[in-house]
Amino acid sequence: MTARIIMKLRVESIRASTPEVAHIGLVHPLRPELPEWTPGAHVDFRLPDGKIRQYSLCGDPSDRSRYEVAIKREDQGRGGSKWVHENLALGTIAHVSAPRNNFPLAPGATRHVFVAGGIGITPFVAMARALAAEDRDFTLHLCARSAEDAPLIGLLREICGEQLHCWFSSEGRRFDPRVLGGPSEGTHIYSCGPERLVGSLQAALDLAGWPSEQIHIERFAATLDENFKPEPFEALIESTGQTLHVPADRSLLDVLREHGFTLSSSCEIGVCGSCECGYRDGVVLHRDSSLPLSKRQDRMMPCVSRARVHLTLAL
Amino acid sequence: MSELPPPRMVEAFEHAAGSIAVNVPGGATGWKGVLLNIHVAPAASYEMEELQEARCVAGRGIEGDRYFHGTGTYSPKPDTREVTLIEQEALDALNRNDPPLQGGKIQLSPGDHRRNLTVRGVPLNHLVGRRFRVGEVILRGGRLNFPCKYLEELLGMPVYLPLYNRSGLNCGIERGGLIRPGDAIEMMD
Repeated sequence: MTARIIMKLRVESIRASTPEVAHIGLVHPLRPELPEWTPGAHVDFRLPDGKIRQYSLCGDPSDRSRYEVAIKREDQGRGGSKWVHENLALGTIAHVSAPRNNFPLAPGATRHVFVAGGIGITPFVAMARALAAEDRDFTLHLCARSAEDAPLIGLLREICGEQLHCWFSSEGRRFDPRVLGGPSEGTHIYSCGPERLVGSLQAALDLAGWPSEQIHIERFAATLDENFKPEPFEALIESTGQTLHVPADRSLLDVLREHGFTLSSSCEIGVCGSCECGYRDGVVLHRDSSLPLSKRQDRMMPCVSRARVHLTLAL
Repeated sequence: MSELPPPRMVEAFEHAAGSIAVNVPGGATGWKGVLLNIHVAPAASYEMEELQEARCVAGRGIEGDRYFHGTGTYSPKPDTREVTLIEQEALDALNRNDPPLQGGKIQLSPGDHRRNLTVRGVPLNHLVGRRFRVGEVILRGGRLNFPCKYLEELLGMPVYLPLYNRSGLNCGIERGGLIRPGDAIEMMD
């Protein structure tokens, strides 16, 4: 995973998209152009207490002068969105990384179907904009309580036109994954939103026989596994022969850091993909929700994933 | 976030490279250079910020820089990194694709290369094991700087090979003080 530059960006616009969602525009105080990005990309916000939060870019990728994010205030969350809502105002400075894309449009797809829950709409705004500009085939399902609670709805209507399907529970319309039908070649399904939406969608698609390569899910939080009981293990560093002991109450990333291995890291809950590293042998207990199945044989996320007894790291 | 360990610096003339070079005579003398730009980054991966004046602290680094604070990417690894320098002439060469090692010319501005001081007229590759002054500050050349893949990733530019052998100099600070762009740079010995 590549390192990304961190910039001090200035809030150039901020407005309430819904009562709970702030739509924020950011510019570089000194540079006319920001690093490039593609639809589905996110940036990291670095908070003063060292916390890092990811937010999808929802602006126009062809406008290099600014980034846009839409951030919902989650008072029950981990504190990132609350900080943003309480501290960012016109002209304030936010510490923001260059973008990374873990959720890109599938290159070979001929049809794209998006299912968004609430603030999970953000990555799809840029995706829809790019597809609409090229007159490509897509459908966007937006699930929210009501039109007033649906972030960026005006912009979405403008971009998507007839391709936007709204499911507002206040109107008694609830999204049913069965409307997506059975597997269809060339069609890729993307979902982002709360676990209850993406979890039930995933289950329904599995049941309908959709191949996993055609399903792309971005989660807000790491998969819950309350029953997981961490055990200590040993990690052998391939290049130096050093063996590190990882106690049950500490992460592999943490132990590596203590021994001077500076892997980049960000969310530390297994969703962002920053700390990805290679391993040679050992039984790895993958606990992240970022690495695709195809890479799990020799790659792992040391922030949350562990090993049974022993593993060798390609470091 | 856990507390960061205090930075561990290797004194320039005790570095594996500097300790040998200090006993081997040679290198260019009689030159006179100038300090063009001063840049620091507040922490690892942060964009570099330009300063019009900076305080150098002996044995430690430039105030406000990530290696002064121990928050740099390589801070956990003891080394000579109190101050890093690069030649404007090396950046000029990259900008004319010379030698033509990559697709075309690379424009690397003083704010992007992540070394602290951009200098002109200073033969940095000759200064390992040597003492020289930047304004009132005395530096000791500890080792040649080496390009890293991390820089390529941060910049999104293929600078690794083009910077090879002209990536600059890592120095220790023998005598601290204030430096400013325009300061003269000269040999001490």
